[in-house]
Amino acid sequence: MSFRHLRAVIRKEINHILRDRTTFVLVMLVPTAMLFIMAYALTVDIKHVPIAVLDYDRSPTSRAFIQQVTEGEDLDLYAQVDSLDDIDNLLTRGEIKAALIIAPDFEHDLLSLRGIPLQIIVDGTEPKSGGFAVDHIGGRAEEFISEALASRIRALNVNVSLDSLQPIDLRVRALYNPSLKPRVDIIPGLISMVLGFPALSVALTLAHEREHGTLEQVLVTPVGRAEFLLGKMIPYIIVGLANVIIMPAIARVTFHIPFNGSFPLFFLLSAVFLFAILSMGMLVGVFMPTQPAALALSFLVIFFPGFFMTGIFFPIASMPAEMRMEAMSLPGTHYATITRGVFLPGVGLDVLWPNVLALLGMGIAFTAVAALSFRKKLG
Amino acid sequence: MSFESANEVPPIIETHALTRDFKKTRAVDSLDLSIRPGELFGLVGPDGAGKTTTLRLLAGLLNITSGSAKVAGYDLARQPEAIKRKIGYMAQQFNLYGELSVLENLSFFADLYDVEVSELRERTERLLAFAGLTEFKDRRAAQLSGGMQKKLALACTLIHQPEILLLDEPTTGVDPISRREFWDILTDLNLAGTTIVVSTPYMDEADRCLRVGLMYEGRMVVCADPQQIRARIEGELIELRPDDWQAACALIESLPGVLEVQTYGNLLHVLVDSADKRLPEIETALRKHGLTYRGVRRVTPRMEEAFISLIRRLEVD
Repeated sequence: MSFRHLRAVIRKEINHILRDRTTFVLVMLVPTAMLFIMAYALTVDIKHVPIAVLDYDRSPTSRAFIQQVTEGEDLDLYAQVDSLDDIDNLLTRGEIKAALIIAPDFEHDLLSLRGIPLQIIVDGTEPKSGGFAVDHIGGRAEEFISEALASRIRALNVNVSLDSLQPIDLRVRALYNPSLKPRVDIIPGLISMVLGFPALSVALTLAHEREHGTLEQVLVTPVGRAEFLLGKMIPYIIVGLANVIIMPAIARVTFHIPFNGSFPLFFLLSAVFLFAILSMGMLVGVFMPTQPAALALSFLVIFFPGFFMTGIFFPIASMPAEMRMEAMSLPGTHYATITRGVFLPGVGLDVLWPNVLALLGMGIAFTAVAALSFRKKLG
Repeated sequence: MSFESANEVPPIIETHALTRDFKKTRAVDSLDLSIRPGELFGLVGPDGAGKTTTLRLLAGLLNITSGSAKVAGYDLARQPEAIKRKIGYMAQQFNLYGELSVLENLSFFADLYDVEVSELRERTERLLAFAGLTEFKDRRAAQLSGGMQKKLALACTLIHQPEILLLDEPTTGVDPISRREFWDILTDLNLAGTTIVVSTPYMDEADRCLRVGLMYEGRMVVCADPQQIRARIEGELIELRPDDWQAACALIESLPGVLEVQTYGNLLHVLVDSADKRLPEIETALRKHGLTYRGVRRVTPRMEEAFISLIRRLEVD
């Protein structure tokens, strides 16, 4: 390994990143922009879901119940309708996402302590809004019934405490993210995904050299394969680390995500992650002859798995066994654990060392395979 | 005499039945080539004849399908990296980093070729002056003219003072003045002892070579010095400019003693067994058919006519 060769390739590549506008935007601006867009888009709170109500009872109690359900910003009463056909109509036109149907005996059943028959119809094509409506109506109905029951019991003058009617008293306490805000959880995970962009650039840069013929001119020099590949990778690790400084800062200032761990540790572990993911990108670049091909394969092996399989959105524990195995072999999975661990509980190497080892192993393995598969030949 | 030839230096490039196949085609077919140190060797042939593949094989850029080759004393299949320090290779298209400046490109290749740091400055300045790029040394390579890009590419391939230069159509797409300058540089290099193998589509350039190899469908069909190649042309050459070249061409081809008619735009080159005998016959025939013409004269065959004539004969076979 000649240091002079390595330095020459690094210097050339840094000049390329700084002077080629497309590359610069791709590695410096896109990750930050992605973080912003995805953070906002993925963590939108559901509000103002339009619903319709079909009230067969039309009693003071049912009116009070409707009032309670539609109070606040969560559900909006779009229409009071008279028949199931109207509900069907509104649902198919997408004007409402759910409908609440109150049975004719609502008041009577409630007051005689027989429970309340309720029906909710939801638009299954939008399960998020529908599910939200179900949870919300269910919650409100429970509160409503408790109150109604309590006053009924008091009116009956029976010596029963309300608690005895609700034998379970469950209190949930969320650690590290007390209000269970999704953003706090997602953003550290997102950072791990967004850093895939430098990896994409590495995959593209090799294909770019192949397409522009510059690779041909380099291949006739005595430069070593590992010197060339590492020399191309190192500048992107540096650029990625610039992002590693920028992004936690954005997370803290813009999204108020707490950063509980040690920043130097986070920085160091990020460098290890970048080494792993960039060698994956390099491997893609070694095998793909053109930029479109490199782009397509990068999306397939770097971004999509990074999105769906690293546990950022779907917990790894609930995946089938073979998918779990695959998830563990992706750098993003380990880095998502690291980012979340360092950001939220503020854990250190004593906990994260297996992930660090995994990343190092992957980086070395991918680089070795890339260097061995890279031939100093055309075609 | 025989004593001298026995003492002759061994060839610097030598190939035996060198063959390279691509998926469907045999690009280079059993090539036997022997180039002496200090030679200026021209590779000519129609597009797709295998010139680029031959140069890429010699530069170690492609794997050999079969056969063997020695370049600068090293085996091409087994020691390609050792060969790389001895050769300079320049591809047909511009292959340097457009976003790097002239100087940055030069120093990049100087680093990759491990040029002595103590010699670097002097050598860079000399190459810049030699390529006429001194005043453009801070300009980005992408912003140079086509001719300057070629000269920069040549300067980059010369940075490690290679013994052998492999140049693939270095003057294609370059204006005539730059082309001439480029060849003056090549001639200087050759006189200084560098062995040069250059492929070219231009026959006047082939004429400047010490020896010329004509490739056709992957094979080397003729390999001789330019005079010998010109001498291979059968018969003598008459040039004329008829007003209706198509009719004149058809008529002349049917005359006795006419070996071949080549067209250059509306100019006809007629190869005949004897110019003295056939020239009056052709003029008579043209007049008889009412075909007007101008500027009829006897000319000496050039590489161009020889080349076309040789290729035609190959195509007929």
